[in-house]
Amino acid sequence: MIMISRDKLGRSSRYVSLLTFVAFVGCILYINRDVLYTAHDRSEFLYGTSFFDSLMLKPFGFMQYVGAWLTQLFCEPLVGAGVLALIWALIFFVGVKAFRLQGHSTALMILPIACLLTSVVDLGYWIYISTIRGYWFSQSVGYLFILTLLWVAISTPRNWHIVWYIVAVCLYPLFGWFSLLFVLCLIVMGKFSWREVVGILLVFIAARIWRTILYPDRLVEEVILAGLPQFETSLDKSESLTVPFWLLGVLSIILPLCGKFISKWYVALLSLVIGVVYTLSFMYYDDRYIDEMRMVRCAYDDKWNEVLDIIEDTAEPTTTMVMLKNVALMHEGGLLDKAFKIGNISYPINNPDSLHVTLLDIASPLVYYNYGMINEAIRLDYENAIQAGFSPFYLKMLSRCALAKGDTQLIEKYNAQLNKHLFYDDWKPAPVKDAIFELQGAYQDELTGVENSVGYIVTSISLWYDTDSKLASEQALFYSMMRSDSKRFWKSLRKFVKLHQGEEFPVHAQEAYILFLDKAPEEKRMKLPVQETTYSRYKQFWAVLERYAKSGMGKNELAEKMRQEWGDTYWYFNIFGRRVY
Amino acid sequence: MKNYINGIIAILAFCFASCTQHPSVPNATCEIDTLPAIFPDYCDVTIPSNIAPLNFMLPMQEYESCVARFTTPNGEQQTYGRGVKVQVPIDEWRTMLDSSKGQSIKVEVFGQKGSEWLAFKPFEIRVAEEPIDEYLSYRLIEPSYVAWNYMEIAQRNLTNFEETEIFNNVVTSNDKSIGQCVNCHSYQNYKTDNMLFHVRLSNGCTVIVSDGKAKKVNLKRDYTISAGVYPSWHPTEKLVAFSTNLTRQGFHTSNNNKIEVYDLESDLILYDIERDSVSIVSNDPELLEIYPTWSPDGNYLYYGKTVALPEEMRGEDIRTTYEKVQYNLYRKPFDVTTHNFGDEELVFDAASLNKSATLPRISPDGKYLLFALGQYGCFHIRHNDADIACMPLTDDAATDIDIHKLNSEGMPDSYPSWSSNGQWIMVASRREDGNFCRVYFSYFKDGKAEKAFMLPQEDPEMNILFLKSYNRPEFMVEPVKCSVQEFARAIEK
Repeated sequence: MIMISRDKLGRSSRYVSLLTFVAFVGCILYINRDVLYTAHDRSEFLYGTSFFDSLMLKPFGFMQYVGAWLTQLFCEPLVGAGVLALIWALIFFVGVKAFRLQGHSTALMILPIACLLTSVVDLGYWIYISTIRGYWFSQSVGYLFILTLLWVAISTPRNWHIVWYIVAVCLYPLFGWFSLLFVLCLIVMGKFSWREVVGILLVFIAARIWRTILYPDRLVEEVILAGLPQFETSLDKSESLTVPFWLLGVLSIILPLCGKFISKWYVALLSLVIGVVYTLSFMYYDDRYIDEMRMVRCAYDDKWNEVLDIIEDTAEPTTTMVMLKNVALMHEGGLLDKAFKIGNISYPINNPDSLHVTLLDIASPLVYYNYGMINEAIRLDYENAIQAGFSPFYLKMLSRCALAKGDTQLIEKYNAQLNKHLFYDDWKPAPVKDAIFELQGAYQDELTGVENSVGYIVTSISLWYDTDSKLASEQALFYSMMRSDSKRFWKSLRKFVKLHQGEEFPVHAQEAYILFLDKAPEEKRMKLPVQETTYSRYKQFWAVLERYAKSGMGKNELAEKMRQEWGDTYWYFNIFGRRVY
Repeated sequence: MKNYINGIIAILAFCFASCTQHPSVPNATCEIDTLPAIFPDYCDVTIPSNIAPLNFMLPMQEYESCVARFTTPNGEQQTYGRGVKVQVPIDEWRTMLDSSKGQSIKVEVFGQKGSEWLAFKPFEIRVAEEPIDEYLSYRLIEPSYVAWNYMEIAQRNLTNFEETEIFNNVVTSNDKSIGQCVNCHSYQNYKTDNMLFHVRLSNGCTVIVSDGKAKKVNLKRDYTISAGVYPSWHPTEKLVAFSTNLTRQGFHTSNNNKIEVYDLESDLILYDIERDSVSIVSNDPELLEIYPTWSPDGNYLYYGKTVALPEEMRGEDIRTTYEKVQYNLYRKPFDVTTHNFGDEELVFDAASLNKSATLPRISPDGKYLLFALGQYGCFHIRHNDADIACMPLTDDAATDIDIHKLNSEGMPDSYPSWSSNGQWIMVASRREDGNFCRVYFSYFKDGKAEKAFMLPQEDPEMNILFLKSYNRPEFMVEPVKCSVQEFARAIEK
């Protein structure tokens, strides 16, 4: 009786574990749907032989090409996630056969899949700067191929293994490090003989043989362990993101050995727990990271109301979010009435690898484009795309910029690439908004240097006070306030008042006017009517500030205390704000 | 690797060619009295007798299919067309060219729109007797601003579609934080046993191939403002003239030219390869010298040199004066035995026309001078008003020179060069879209240039989809024989 119960318990625990893991994978992919969309948006896949040829210059290039093609599917995250999950399901079933897992031990295949799942949700801000083509699918597809080959290989007599070792080495240009993994798996699955010695030797020399034959123009380190993702750019490096693949390799060697011995009823539950805990521990999850992606997408689609909805729910917005919010207010109106109410103080991104990722990598072409700074938008599109690839995001932005500049031939060129994309066959750049045209004509041409910082946007726009554009004068006033620059503020304010005669004096402009009149007045003072309530609030602001300061409060405590009542004012930003540049 | 890929492609191409279909000529329901809008535009061009097939296509958005009928002077006809593309197998193309030398091939293009077939006005492809140099080399790089990534100097066989790598910027161990740039490939007399290119930043040096052997040299001396930059090989001696430049670039905030490249300082030097010695050719402290080039007999060195800025502008930031920087063309006689230069002579006074002339190139017969002409500055490939100009240098040169068919309207045309027989002019131009540089050729005879045509590609759509520029195209009569690894070894020595 007890035996039967244990058997039943074991079987049910296996099914429950598998179903739970399936549900877990589904949940993780679902909550990362914006990440998956961004993955497609920032992944390069170009039609034409040049892209294919460039990948084929290195081993594993074909897998990267396949991976890059499949990444297009993330344009519809559920479709892409479904295909990825299907590949993992195949990995599970083929892996069970290839590793000869039986009974309770079949659930051990949860572990390699957990590694692959983790590898697609642990990237964080690397998603914007990674240069690995086809990353999102190539590892899973490569692993599936090699497991299938292993399954076939173990079905043949042992003395054929030497042939398989040679076949695997021959496949190194296609499967890179997975070919070597295949050889190691096959070695541990059979009895050790001279064939296995040859196999081990082949593992050590395969890459060098292929470098000599096919890849003499590549560095040795590019050919050895080809395809094993290395997260490195000229500025950043991360070792931890390669760990899931090392684990995948180690597991693939251990599983065929352990499968025979670990066949207890609790194996399934244990695998589930380990898999879930591992993924949850290393998954990058931060609400702002996701919200920032949603904002970029909404901003790209000109859904400015949604951009504002997202930031209003965010307690500590990033610089990108603050900048996109200000662009949204430009389009929707109310910049000088709402910008500081919603908040202009930005907070650092959660950045475990200390990556050099800023607004420039995340959304700068979009911000520059909307401010009518089209040449800068084009430049940053190129600077980023040359490093991270001509992904849909950059091609779409380049096409929109070409439309704004009136470069018809260029629009056709970028669209020719985009229209071959699985989900962009009818894509055309959205019409250029009047606001963008207006701003584009509001400033004089000048030669600038390599100025990429957010401060460049703020500084440039704050200089637009010499304009006849109402919109440009509003932006110049706003950004002179953001700079807390009294000189530019007074110049901007004069122009703003001149161009907005008969209109209401916006609240934040009144606040800044009172503050600068008090703290940095011009000799020839402007006299503008301000609301009584605003002026009284200003007096209260300083009275309270003085009282708190005299009580010996620390700076942070003082800022927090003041924020509760005055956080919606320009005065608070001016005194306590961490500037966005 | 590229050989391997090309091998596979060749096999596939052979298989494809073996089953090339020759579609029947459609029954056109509508005749149109205009030339077809084919890409690239090969209508009524004059081509060399050894060029690769001029494959072309109709716009994909407008047409479903395209069929082209080629008729050679001997009356033979053949049709081609698959989808909207017309791709002629190399062997059949070669037969057509052989039977059309000195004459024309008639091309009739039919395009299908919906269910209707349109017959366009036929055009001709004239086949010149004179061949073009078999090889061409260029640097492939995105139209970049500051950042760059992978770049290569490649060579292309003009009689077919084979392209191989001469060198790339990742084959040597680089310091990734600074990267590596490769540029300015240059050859002596169109041959490759004596050639050079520069490697900048990581492992920086100039790689010089002398009698087929690659070595690296450092051309920077205490008395020069930089290492050698823009090179020109003396046609017979182991001497290379370089400009030395302190170059900067700036970015326009709204001007369509987008990028401005300018020099803060520049001089001319002469490098003697056998003695490893660098001597000054010209170093006027007030003026900027650039783009040296030798006359084909080696007796003159031509170059560009600025005229003095108006007095009130001197000492100002170049970002405010760059539009007033204009170059004239000069030359200095050179004594091959003593290596001495004579006095400077003005060759072309561009500034008096309120223009700036750069990149002088003398025809192999010494009769004509080609150069790039724009409003200001030295980097005309980024100037939309830049065109190629030509002037006679000798009394027996044609006086009624007309090369307007070589130039584009309102797009940058720059970097002119002559084929070794002087019958073909090559230019780099952004004329297709204003951004991506492509290579164009034009037939030149008796002072007249024929309509320029784009470097043909196996897949005509490649020139649309390809997101890199062809930089510094140079003719060669033979391929570079040093391998990528030989160059890499020389650099890492």
